[in-house]
Amino acid sequence: MKNNNKLILIISLSFFALVNFIWLVVPFFMAVLWSLVDPSHPWSFPDIFPRVLSFNRWIEVWQTTSLPEAMFNSYSLAPAVALLTVTLAAPTAYAFGRLEFRGKQVAELITLLPMVMPTMILAIFFSSLLLDLGFSEPYFSIVVAHTVLALPYAIRIMSAGFKAVPQDVIDACADMGASRITTFRHAFLPMLKPSILASLIFCLVISIEEFNMSYVLGAPDFITVPTILYSFLGYSFVRPDAAVVSLFLVIPNVILMLVIERLLKGNYLSQSTGKA
Amino acid sequence: MKLWLLLLPGLGSIVFLMGSALYTIMIQSVGLHTELGASLDYWSDTLSDPILFRSIEYSLRTSVLGSLGAVILAYPIAMWLRKPIPGKTAIIGLLRAPMFVPGLVAAFLLINVISFHGILNESLLALGVIDKPLRITNDKFGWSVVMLQVWKNTPFALILLSSSINSIRSDVLDASADLGASAWANFSQVVFPLTIPALQAALILIFIGALGDFAFASIAGSRNVYSLSVLMHYTATAYYEWEKAAVIGLVIMVLSGLSAILITLMTRPFANRTRPVISASFLERSHEK
Repeated sequence: MKNNNKLILIISLSFFALVNFIWLVVPFFMAVLWSLVDPSHPWSFPDIFPRVLSFNRWIEVWQTTSLPEAMFNSYSLAPAVALLTVTLAAPTAYAFGRLEFRGKQVAELITLLPMVMPTMILAIFFSSLLLDLGFSEPYFSIVVAHTVLALPYAIRIMSAGFKAVPQDVIDACADMGASRITTFRHAFLPMLKPSILASLIFCLVISIEEFNMSYVLGAPDFITVPTILYSFLGYSFVRPDAAVVSLFLVIPNVILMLVIERLLKGNYLSQSTGKA
Repeated sequence: MKLWLLLLPGLGSIVFLMGSALYTIMIQSVGLHTELGASLDYWSDTLSDPILFRSIEYSLRTSVLGSLGAVILAYPIAMWLRKPIPGKTAIIGLLRAPMFVPGLVAAFLLINVISFHGILNESLLALGVIDKPLRITNDKFGWSVVMLQVWKNTPFALILLSSSINSIRSDVLDASADLGASAWANFSQVVFPLTIPALQAALILIFIGALGDFAFASIAGSRNVYSLSVLMHYTATAYYEWEKAAVIGLVIMVLSGLSAILITLMTRPFANRTRPVISASFLERSHEK
């Protein structure tokens, strides 16, 4: 019986490995391989493997396309979105996490709306509204649009953070005559740090990978990494270029998401109070 | 008073932007913003256009198959993850990976694998399964889009279903196993009914996301049929027919709402089913022994 269980485990694990190989490893391996095809030795049909591998394609894409501009735009939008979102989300998250009031559930449901509303609809009609108002500053309108898309996540993560601060710590601070600011600094802030950081990073990720809003509101000439990838995948399809830009988009994302996993799992809250 | 000040920055921004976009879409769909004044012509024009119905069919088809596929794939994985497995954290991390891959990158990865001389065709040729490479990119039916939806959304379905399955107390499952339920009976009559709320949430959220999809359809989708979002985008930005685009946008929203209701109604009976797990004759036989 015991051997049998072990056998089942080995079979299921090898099946998992095989499926994941096809599901994840092959697609990413092909993308990396395409990005390393040397520009002067194209990879065409009869060759099973590219003739020459080099990083020249990466250098070429960086130098000849508008990728640097797109990177600059994406990475200057994202911090603005992250800071604005966390600033706007904090008071609302406090209300959801620590106060009881009538209509709280409805209010919480409304904050989830941007998650279910198709972004293309929001993008088109937000842009139409801006057009009617005669406002055309893509950087600003994309920051606002991304902020609204990121707010539900930031509010959720941070209200869970606020909720988890134990009342006795706050009471202790108050008993010792701490002012409101001191209470915030010594009772709330240390325990909120992970959720604030996680929200900031989540907003960065959302803004960096968001396509619909940037595409519609940035049209025609404000480009971000996703919109430049879209053009490489569409009307100017160059496979190796698309491979390079895909990796430019996906690698920072994966790193940031791994950091979030760490932050939200590293259970600082239970450790710092001794309560599980 | 103070409460309002707290809610205003977060909730207020959301309500303001969503509200103004919804207001614009409503106004434009009946042409209230033009000099001609309100009219239902945009509705009747758009709704009598066969292109819209082809788009509706295409979007519904890919969304139904995509959301069902993700959920059907997630159930066995979630059941498997209940068992103690060495390296579980790494496995869960790998399973969640597609969630962190931006949609456009996912579309590129798929196109790259299934292209005319891509690795799929070359492997099938080498294995002798086919003699000529298959032309399967941008297929008419939308299988590529379905594949992408399943790939991208399975982790999400897995998170929802896993947490629901893991919250079932193990004595409930032990009891049903003691009563002689097979693995399948255990799943279909004990686990499945208890996970219906999570299933509803997963199906509704994935379905609505897929129904409004723009990126997958415009890169990997059919070249002859547009998805609803692609059609709306073209109508607004290529033809500047904002009124018709507004009607299409409202059609997407109405379809999303109706589907959410339909999914809830269709799955609810499974949660309330009270058929006995094991037939009476089985119990009699086991008593005789």
